[in-house]
Amino acid sequence: MPVWIDPDKCNGCHSSRQPPCLRMCPGDLIVKDHAVNKAYLKYPEDCWDCLPCIKVCPEEAIEFHLSYQFGSSGAKLAPHIHKTRDFITWEAEDIEGKKEEFTIRTKVMQIALDESVEDGPQGPDFSI
Amino acid sequence: MIERQLVETDILIIGGGTAGCMAAVEAKEQFPQYKVTILEKAHIDRSGCLAGGMNAINAYLNKGETPESFVRYVRSDSCGLIREDLVQSMSELFEYCVKKVEKWGLPILSDDNGDYIPRGRWNIKINGESLKPILSRAARSAGAKVYNWLVVTNLLTEGDRVSGAVGFSLRNGKFYVVKAKAVLIATGGAAGLYRPNNAGDASHKTWYSPYNTGAGYAMGIRAGAEMTSYEMRYVALRTKDAIAPTGTIALGAGAPQVNAKGERFMVSRYADLGGDGAPTPYRAHGPVQEIKEGRGPVYLDTRGIGPEKVKELKKAYLDMYPSQVLYWLANDIDPDKEPVEVQTTEPYIVGGHCQAGYWVDLNRRTTLKGLYAAGDVAGGAPFKFVSGCWAEGVIAARAMGEDISKMALLAPSDAQIDAEEKRAFNPLKNRERGKRGIPPADLEARLQKVMEQYAGGASTYYEMNQEMLTIARKKLATLPGEVNDVVANDLHQLMKAHEVIDRIDVAQVLVEHLAYRRETRWPTYQSRTDYPERDDVNWLKFVNSVKDRESGTIKMMTRPYEQIVPGDRYRP
Repeated sequence: MPVWIDPDKCNGCHSSRQPPCLRMCPGDLIVKDHAVNKAYLKYPEDCWDCLPCIKVCPEEAIEFHLSYQFGSSGAKLAPHIHKTRDFITWEAEDIEGKKEEFTIRTKVMQIALDESVEDGPQGPDFSI
Repeated sequence: MIERQLVETDILIIGGGTAGCMAAVEAKEQFPQYKVTILEKAHIDRSGCLAGGMNAINAYLNKGETPESFVRYVRSDSCGLIREDLVQSMSELFEYCVKKVEKWGLPILSDDNGDYIPRGRWNIKINGESLKPILSRAARSAGAKVYNWLVVTNLLTEGDRVSGAVGFSLRNGKFYVVKAKAVLIATGGAAGLYRPNNAGDASHKTWYSPYNTGAGYAMGIRAGAEMTSYEMRYVALRTKDAIAPTGTIALGAGAPQVNAKGERFMVSRYADLGGDGAPTPYRAHGPVQEIKEGRGPVYLDTRGIGPEKVKELKKAYLDMYPSQVLYWLANDIDPDKEPVEVQTTEPYIVGGHCQAGYWVDLNRRTTLKGLYAAGDVAGGAPFKFVSGCWAEGVIAARAMGEDISKMALLAPSDAQIDAEEKRAFNPLKNRERGKRGIPPADLEARLQKVMEQYAGGASTYYEMNQEMLTIARKKLATLPGEVNDVVANDLHQLMKAHEVIDRIDVAQVLVEHLAYRRETRWPTYQSRTDYPERDDVNWLKFVNSVKDRESGTIKMMTRPYEQIVPGDRYRP
């Protein structure tokens, strides 16, 4: 499974009807289970590994995994957006536990916690 | 009863991607009096090819280059046949577009003099992880109205004039009827026509966006627009498994291709074509032949590039294809110590790398009045990549703004709208009727099986002959009728259903194009075992097609090639 939303970390973005991860998935693959207030990847077989969902999660609740057929699990790769929104730092760890960091310039746009289909973004934009 | 929503606009842009966003900005800046509306299948912030990001602009005129030198290069890279007028006109706007996007906030790497840092002859380095949201916010700020999660199923037409489009919302299930004076198609190319490289939970681990499923091609085919050069498929040379672009390594680290024996086969076998700098089709064809003849696997030889270069490569991939880095981490691969294995992808139809798409004039007008095309869906102009798609968006926006003063909003007939609503929602209705029907995934598997096995898929080394294509034609002919039995359980599946239905229309046209060109001009992209040589005497021309709206017959024709920039067409 390429991305996995950790149910212990996901808070469903509170009362958001359409949390950022759900909106930013270009394949419409993430849904929110409103009964338990958590988002999950409903169609893992259709994931492109493009990672906008991970980058916009305010709780950093989404993990990036390689499809198991491509190699052993245990390696890690996680992006962290800087508060200033002009850098992204990727934390990497190989299967032997060796760690590396990559900091790259970017320009991250702010995003609202919710958005309605008819009326657009809801509430103030937040910084990740 | 399906609720209908009527929208009226001056300019309608279908597809809020690379070309669509730039077209929207240009239209609002040049013609602020006009309403501009974008219909987007996903959310415009992260849709289309750029969802994951980009680490380079690969069509740019670095110092010393000119539109003419660019045309010469693209012409030789495309084996001597392109629409030179289109390629030249887009290259004239690279600078305009790149400067604009830099102003919106895209970090572009510059030297101390403020000059962009080249990555290759036509490439500059960017930090484009957020390129798509930067574009989408510019489109919104310019005043374009965006409808997200709106799956467009067809164009509305009055005679040979396009008068709008219809589709359904993935979120509220309403049927949208959009009337427009001018319509720009910018939906991208088509992935998923052939079996993908990987199976299971990696079946969408494709190079091209798996969500670009040829909707724009299909709508145009059904409306009777003239299409060109579908037979010039794109087969990409990519890293093994992760299917990440190899330009990052080949250009970024100067790594040559080697076979299992360590032989630089591009140099030993394709020296006359330029070795490792041979035209792009040959850089895919070369490794395919090595593997076919038992000298695989094939690698990009990165050994000895040093830890600093490896770090640079990883950073470049993190801006575009992070899974490549995770792949190296998970498999304990250090590109400094071992070469990077590469493979070729399934064939795609994409007008930005090759030239499948709408036949357009210099202003990106299609053969249907009121319909324009830009980006991967527009034909005749390869080597667009990102900046060429922007340029075409600008050109089309300017043309629409000029043309629109002579155009009125037409009221499409109720019969046409009713029929399209019925067609669009039929898979959901089938579920209500309790039909067993065909799930979209099954229809996709059937389509991909036929294309893979009889229309030059990876498992036949991309080769085909007339007999195979005749079988493909026959097998595909059964599918349009069976489409009536596709079942969707919800709106997401309804989208999936249309993504396959569209690809069936595209595949039928593709097979006709492959069968019509009786030469091999672009090996591997278009390898005809029965006509293995290039034939400039008979085939230095464009293969075009129009599907007759009434009979459904695909009519084939040719259009002449015109050389504008002098010189040897096979030399850059």
